Amino acid sequence: MHRIRFIVRKEILHILRDVRSLIIVIAMPIMMTFLYGYAINLDIENVTISIVDFDHSRESRDLTGSFYNSPHFSRPKVPVDPLDPESILRSARSSAILYIKPGFGQALGNGEEHTLGMTIDGSDAILAAAVQSYSNVVLRDFLLERVPHGVPVPGIMISPRVFYNPDLKSAHFFVPGLVAILMMMISALLTSITIAKEKETGTMEQLLTAPVRPSEILVGKLLPYILIALLDGILVLVFAKVVFGVPFVGAPLLLLGFGLVYVAAALSIGILISSLVATQQVAMMIALLTTMLPSVMLSGFIFAVKNMPVPLQAVSYLIPARYFVAIIRGIMLKGAGADVLAVHGLGLVVLMASLLLVAGRRFKTRVD
Amino acid sequence: MRRAYLGLIRKEFIQVWRDPKMLGIIFAMPVVQLLLLGYAVNVDVKNITLDVYDFDRSRTSRELVSAMKAGDYFLPTEEAFVREATPVWDLDARFKDGSAEMALIISNGFSSGLARGDSVTVGVLADGADANSARTGLGYCAQIVNRYSRRVTGVSPPVEIRHRFLYNPEAESVNYMVPGIVATLLMMVTVMLTSMAIVRERETGTLEQLMVTPIKVHTLLLGKLTTFAILGLFEATLALTIGVLWFGIPFVGSPLLLFALAGLFLLTTLGMGMFFSTITSTQQQAMFLAWFFAIFAILTSGFFTPISNMPPLIQRITYLNPMRYFMSIIRGIMMKGAGLVDLLPEIGALIVFGAVIFSFSMIRFHKRVG
Repeated sequence: MHRIRFIVRKEILHILRDVRSLIIVIAMPIMMTFLYGYAINLDIENVTISIVDFDHSRESRDLTGSFYNSPHFSRPKVPVDPLDPESILRSARSSAILYIKPGFGQALGNGEEHTLGMTIDGSDAILAAAVQSYSNVVLRDFLLERVPHGVPVPGIMISPRVFYNPDLKSAHFFVPGLVAILMMMISALLTSITIAKEKETGTMEQLLTAPVRPSEILVGKLLPYILIALLDGILVLVFAKVVFGVPFVGAPLLLLGFGLVYVAAALSIGILISSLVATQQVAMMIALLTTMLPSVMLSGFIFAVKNMPVPLQAVSYLIPARYFVAIIRGIMLKGAGADVLAVHGLGLVVLMASLLLVAGRRFKTRVD
Repeated sequence: MRRAYLGLIRKEFIQVWRDPKMLGIIFAMPVVQLLLLGYAVNVDVKNITLDVYDFDRSRTSRELVSAMKAGDYFLPTEEAFVREATPVWDLDARFKDGSAEMALIISNGFSSGLARGDSVTVGVLADGADANSARTGLGYCAQIVNRYSRRVTGVSPPVEIRHRFLYNPEAESVNYMVPGIVATLLMMVTVMLTSMAIVRERETGTLEQLMVTPIKVHTLLLGKLTTFAILGLFEATLALTIGVLWFGIPFVGSPLLLFALAGLFLLTTLGMGMFFSTITSTQQQAMFLAWFFAIFAILTSGFFTPISNMPPLIQRITYLNPMRYFMSIIRGIMMKGAGLVDLLPEIGALIVFGAVIFSFSMIRFHKRVG
């Protein structure tokens, strides 16, 4: 125990001496929270749309106004080229073109049927689908406004209500997952690199000849990173709460408990990686490939796991972040308790235990 | 000078070649990224578990429910039909343990109201913890209810929009993601490898050994940069080939133009990598800085969400991100067959950006060495 303290002190000194790395380790979570909470908005708004008005009537101008006054659409910076209108889509200066054909105003006045044409840049399938449904909404509202007041409109309306994140704010959606990703990144990446560094510079052998056991070196080296990972997680949560008002409904202690299990799993991956490599560069690339990417893509952080093809879903069971994203979202947003989260918790514990076992064994055999 | 340059490139390649793990990663990286992103990025939200609480129990309400069931968007939960009379506030528990994601509530008087020609309301509740799925689910629900409403009331709007989709008529998100992945790969490989490799030579002291050879500093630097440019382009080509052959994504425009502009883009990323190597002293720092930059560059490039969707302040910041321009270029060329003229503003921006960052870093590097 006493000897572990010295290793911890040495590691902390190493970390504190490298101010630049430390700044980034603290600045990175803040930047990511800021970008995910503020810049990445899944609710599509302000789509640029060009309107070609061949009708030149009061009605067509009203419709143009309706489109640009809606929060969904905005005017592109460049006008549409009348000879080659689609060039504006090709150069991505605009996402759609609405053609108002001659006779639109007249048809509207006489109550006749009429069709408007719209060409949408379909390259971004999500955006294109949004443009399609938004344009129908704008047109419907435009037509409804022209119906005299008091006349009932038959039909079925929807009264939507969203639980836990009523405004579907992206910060509420991303922040819990972001904590999972950052903790994975800090733990797996930093550990694999710090061990690889000792190997690359040859100081690992010096450490091993010192009167400390390999397991003590390992624990001593890892403890500071557990602290940093937890600190980064808390930093993100506080920042998200203060700046974006992301709620925290459930029990923080429960989250901390699961968080420790999760960090242990991530550290085991870090040890495993470091046992495979000889240089920091390779350690970093492997960490990037085996922890960062899967944690972002296969954990449900952005895309729900159950919509993925079955083989990928099977792979996702091997990714600690998959369980932790479900747990942290459940606790933070829904106030879910241990009973509800038992399945995910069990998965995480089993995964952590097996990773730790393999990593411990590999580290020992490598050292001998 | 020429011989020294070629010799240096050979040395760098031998170094990469000698490290089989690194080599493996260089091959595995584009493959893994493509497979993960190509398959995981699935925007079709399917089989949303839906609790139905039908208090009306009429033919009309049952028709609405079967309209929801048709297609594979919603998966009405068996249990819900049994527990039709359960109080709705039980939903919180259903959402919490994940047995349901959405709920449809049809209240008493639904069918009679419709028959009278009134406007009636159905309740739709969603678990918003996964905002992405909730948003899509609500959208599907609105579509189905609107279509059903039109059918049952016989009222259709007098004016309609006929939509036509250009470039990606099948609405395959893979077609849009793969070009983005290629851009990401090019950026990450070149920025990270460049910054780390230069710092590594400095850290291990081999840079000074090279300095005392008759090779000029800029020849040394160019040799390194060329190697990483070749590696980056190789990764990109590999990813493109897999994208076209495996995922069957279209490549409409000119590959030659794309390669030329990829070279231009590399000028900016190599410049960035070099710049990072001049302001850091260990590989770890270089890696962190490169990583920091990579995350910023990816998130503000329009890779996941359109730039026009970002707040004005962030939109202005994106102009400082070289990847933003290359993202439009590669998507434009591959999906839309955009030509030189369509892409002039982006090309101009990359030239300015590349010239500034590249020469600035070169000067800084010389100073550091001196």
